[in-house]
Amino acid sequence: METQNVKMVVTGPFSAGKTAFVQSISEIEVVSTERRISSEAEQIKEATTVAMDFGRITIDDDLVLYLFGTPGQRRFDFMWEILAQGMLGFVVLVDSSKPETFREAKSILETFRAYAPTPYVVSANKQDLPDAWDLDDLRIALRLDESVKLLPCVATDKESVKKVLLELLYAILEEMEEKE
Amino acid sequence: MKGNLEHFSPTQILNLVSLSKKSGTLDVNRKGRKAALSFKDGKLIFVSMEDADGSLTSVLSKAGRITREQADVLAKHAEKHGDKQLGLLMIQKGYITRNDIVQAIKRHALASVNEFANWNSGDFIFDQARQIGDDRIIVPLDLENIIIQIARAQKRDEQLEEEIPSLDVCLKFADKSKINIKELQLSKEEWSVIRYVKPENTIRMIAKSLNLSDRDIRRVVGSLREAGLVELMQVRQREKLSVEEKQEKKALVGRLIARIQNI
Ligand SMILES: Nc1nc2c(ncn2[C@@H]2O[C@H](COP(=O)(O)OP(=O)(O)OP(=O)(O)O)[C@@H](O)[C@H]2O)c(=O)[nH]1
Ligand SMILES: [Mg+2]
Repeated sequence: METQNVKMVVTGPFSAGKTAFVQSISEIEVVSTERRISSEAEQIKEATTVAMDFGRITIDDDLVLYLFGTPGQRRFDFMWEILAQGMLGFVVLVDSSKPETFREAKSILETFRAYAPTPYVVSANKQDLPDAWDLDDLRIALRLDESVKLLPCVATDKESVKKVLLELLYAILEEMEEKE
Repeated sequence: MKGNLEHFSPTQILNLVSLSKKSGTLDVNRKGRKAALSFKDGKLIFVSMEDADGSLTSVLSKAGRITREQADVLAKHAEKHGDKQLGLLMIQKGYITRNDIVQAIKRHALASVNEFANWNSGDFIFDQARQIGDDRIIVPLDLENIIIQIARAQKRDEQLEEEIPSLDVCLKFADKSKINIKELQLSKEEWSVIRYVKPENTIRMIAKSLNLSDRDIRRVVGSLREAGLVELMQVRQREKLSVEEKQEKKALVGRLIARIQNI
């Protein structure tokens, strides 16, 4: 029997922690198409993702889950639609300590929702940082409906990433129940 | 100086006129839609944009200061004696203050020039010799400020395109909006959009019914969202799965869950 591939997408603004998220859970070293940041303005970290991050979790002999991290910078957003095709669901990561990126996070969320009507969760990343916003405040700032799952996360911590992915999978099941 | 807005944008023209402190009139023809902007020493002094011809009566009636009927009568007077004379007469009779007139003309000029800034094609001619008639009331406006305002509006429009990438989504009232809609101060356009907010109407359909451009409907929806009144709602093209397909998908998701739990 042929191996079946399924995919989920991890998206969010620049530097939200997408690469870290995929890296934490992937069984392979994340095949990242990073490149060193050239412009001064974005010199807050060493590398940014330009095409996608590519992580893998082997489920069993004939099922593989791929995790794709999108590039966070809009100038690479031609990749988004391609990545969105056929995904089971998606995670929107937000850096909870950077309110200046919340608007962009919401806009990315809307863009992905328009690409595909799949379930999604929003993940409040970097909750370990002292100035991370509370979930309740973040929900208001991002204007998220109560029905949208907003989950705390520390992308560098595997257990935390597991929880987010599981919640997304539960959301997919719940949505199927709803449709019955 | 002549050309087409495709190659030289409205903002570029305004910038040029402002920097070189030109005087004269810019006439633009965009497939029969006409605009005329007059400048003196690099300042905008008069705008006529399609039917809004910039005359005192049209400006005041647009601003709701006089009725259509009054405007018709007054326009006849202005035809003979000019806008300046009419303005003076109205001030003397206590209909209106000087400041009201200045504000109404300013608002008309700003609205028109903002509209003009969005034209992306059309033949233009700048005629340095053509000045507007002496009978017009002139309110000189600094172009620098206008250009900044235009840039701001354009930036906002770009943001709105990102926030509302697709017009094929529906609107719904925000769940938590405990706001009493009747007490809100909304614009006429906002009210008309509010009336169409229904799960079955996409933004595109609403725009079509109200004859609003993509940009204008985005602006209205954007401000309603900003106010926390409405939310975008995806038209879920529900995947039509057969019973077996659904079982299969559930089983697949179940396998993913089991595996991830054990990583
Ligand atoms: N403290 C803390 N730091 C984090 C967390 N997640 C990511 N980071 C750090 O944040 C920075 C950005 O993380 P990346 O994973 O590169 O972010 P990205 O979203 O892939 O960024 P782009 O690809 O450039 O859009 C890195 O220095 C990470 O180590 C977290 O949960 N807590
Ligand atoms: Mg990255």
